[in-house]
Amino acid sequence: MVGWSGRRKALTILAFTLPTILGLLIFNIYPLVLNTYTSFTNNNKFHPNPDCTAGLNGVLVPYCWPFFAGAPKGLGVPFKIIEPIYANYQTIMGGLITQPGILSLLTIIACLVPVFLASQLDKRFERQLIRTIPSSVVWLTGILLALLLLWLFGLSAWNKMIDSGDFMAVMARTVLFVVLRVPITFVLGLMLALIVNSPGLPGKTFWRVVLFVPWAASSVAILTSLVWQFFFREQGTINQLLNLAFGFKGPVWLNDSNYAFAIIILVDVWYSYPFFMIAILGALSSISNDVYEAAEIDGANYWQELTGITLPMIRPAILPAIVLTSITAFQMFGTVWAITQGGPTKGAGVPGSTEFVMVYAYKQIFQLGNYGTATAFATIIFIVLFTATLYSLRVTQLTKGATA
Amino acid sequence: MIRPPSRLGRTIQMIILILMGVIALYPIYFTILASGRPGQSLYTLNLAGMFFPTTWTWDNFRAMLVQSPFPLWVFNSLKVASATTVLSIVVVTSAAFAFSRFSFRGRSFGLILMLGLQAYPGLLSLSAITMILTAFQLYGKHTGLVLAYTTGTLVFSTWNLKGYFDTIPIDLEEAGMIDGCGPVQSFLLIALPLARPALAITALLGFLSGWSDFVFASALVPAPDSMKLAVPALYGLSNSLSTPWGQFAAGFIIVVIPTIILFLWLQRYLEAGLTLGGVKG
Repeated sequence: MVGWSGRRKALTILAFTLPTILGLLIFNIYPLVLNTYTSFTNNNKFHPNPDCTAGLNGVLVPYCWPFFAGAPKGLGVPFKIIEPIYANYQTIMGGLITQPGILSLLTIIACLVPVFLASQLDKRFERQLIRTIPSSVVWLTGILLALLLLWLFGLSAWNKMIDSGDFMAVMARTVLFVVLRVPITFVLGLMLALIVNSPGLPGKTFWRVVLFVPWAASSVAILTSLVWQFFFREQGTINQLLNLAFGFKGPVWLNDSNYAFAIIILVDVWYSYPFFMIAILGALSSISNDVYEAAEIDGANYWQELTGITLPMIRPAILPAIVLTSITAFQMFGTVWAITQGGPTKGAGVPGSTEFVMVYAYKQIFQLGNYGTATAFATIIFIVLFTATLYSLRVTQLTKGATA
Repeated sequence: MIRPPSRLGRTIQMIILILMGVIALYPIYFTILASGRPGQSLYTLNLAGMFFPTTWTWDNFRAMLVQSPFPLWVFNSLKVASATTVLSIVVVTSAAFAFSRFSFRGRSFGLILMLGLQAYPGLLSLSAITMILTAFQLYGKHTGLVLAYTTGTLVFSTWNLKGYFDTIPIDLEEAGMIDGCGPVQSFLLIALPLARPALAITALLGFLSGWSDFVFASALVPAPDSMKLAVPALYGLSNSLSTPWGQFAAGFIIVVIPTIILFLWLQRYLEAGLTLGGVKG
């Protein structure tokens, strides 16, 4: 805007942005600060109340603010900053720093080395004029080798890692969930996008809308997942179907750790494949037909067109979708909460086998009241997600140009 | 990929599409069937009953709409969602306009900071939000929920709308300024009417965030029954053994199907901003 400046301009801008700033301050920044502060205290259900004269309580904890009416008058000993100050972090992460924890983590990382090698090899082959070994072979060998190593050495290391503390157990399971879910979703979405995009398909718009429905239903995932939970009950639809069609008595799906984990992945794939399908469809429509025509004159078959043209061409559009969907999958809550509530349990005080980060945090705060350790956990998760978001901004280049 | 596939290829394609279409729709279809079944027959199904409405009764809908507080929950949800819509439009449009049109120190920092803050999941800040709402005596009230939801949609909608404002040429507003428009007038009279399509998305996202949320609604308005919102209340219903599943299914139909339709309508707008959509989480 031209022609005006000074105090009037500053006031106008402030008036336009003040509601946003206030909202972010109260509902985003303040919780972040308070949670970080709480993570250094022994605040839990036995010490729920602050001592308003100590530390930063008087400033940070709302119960201490002068205009606050009807404060719960403290019963028992008020919470205080603990000694040593990082004790909550030690409780949560401690298992990682012990010898078996580090060892098992390193073992698992070592098992993944073939995948890393494959990517490096692939890059080297890429520079050759005529590829001797196709990219798919390199990658497949790497992944299969890694899977073999994981099967041989990884399983025991995995169990040790799960046993080495809540944080590792929850983190490892969540990462496993993301690592399994995102590729499955991607492949399914890619397949459906290619089919819907194939020339001469009758009812293209119809299929687009029908296949999109699960993503629409995911906005009320907590309710839709209840329907899925009903399907997998002991007397649920799946077992009824097995019984009526094959006379086979199905297992109690949700009481088995592995089945429950697989069901969570299944349902979450159901919710999220349309996202990839739509994103890939958008990217596909931007590829010009000339490229395919040229390839067909050269005698390329479908597979060569797919790996040689389609995938490289949609890569820039798909990479952001993969990064962002990984972040979303990491924070998934509703699906698990409705289907297993984090169970089946592994025993008292140990996270259940589908207790992913958000479910764990929710249980720690709202069911167990371990505010101190839960906020320490939240702070670590924030660091993880913040890093991932910054990385995603770099990859997606969302902010490029927009903030210039 | 420019040739239509062979007949065999097309047959395989159609089989996959039909299979995935059935899987995509069946959970919803199953719930429609369940909502029409008489109370106790849910567990004694025959194979045909899983796919076709063998019996149909309106009892479950009648029970939900007449004998339970369900209509009140839907009303509460509508109230909160509408208030969120209005508030988020007011807050978001003005902020997006400022970020798009004015240059000031800290502008790009503010935009990036918003995305960074979004990395802190709402669920983790919920205990702090509960405390601060209690302090302001808004805990357990719908107003508190509306404020929380509005802030929740803030980042995505501001980015989205700012992107849209950026595409509107500034010439019109400059012409307006020459004619004596101030920034507020040029915002209200020139930019806003032009941004109508993007406003629709902002409104819809605001509405959906209030209508479909579970975590905040269940934690910030836990009681009494008459204050609850539809989604957490229905979730609570499904967990109580005294409620037949058919009644839950009837409530599910009333709450979820309009949501799905809204979303399908939103789809064409979302496609463009889909990658940004992931940021919303």
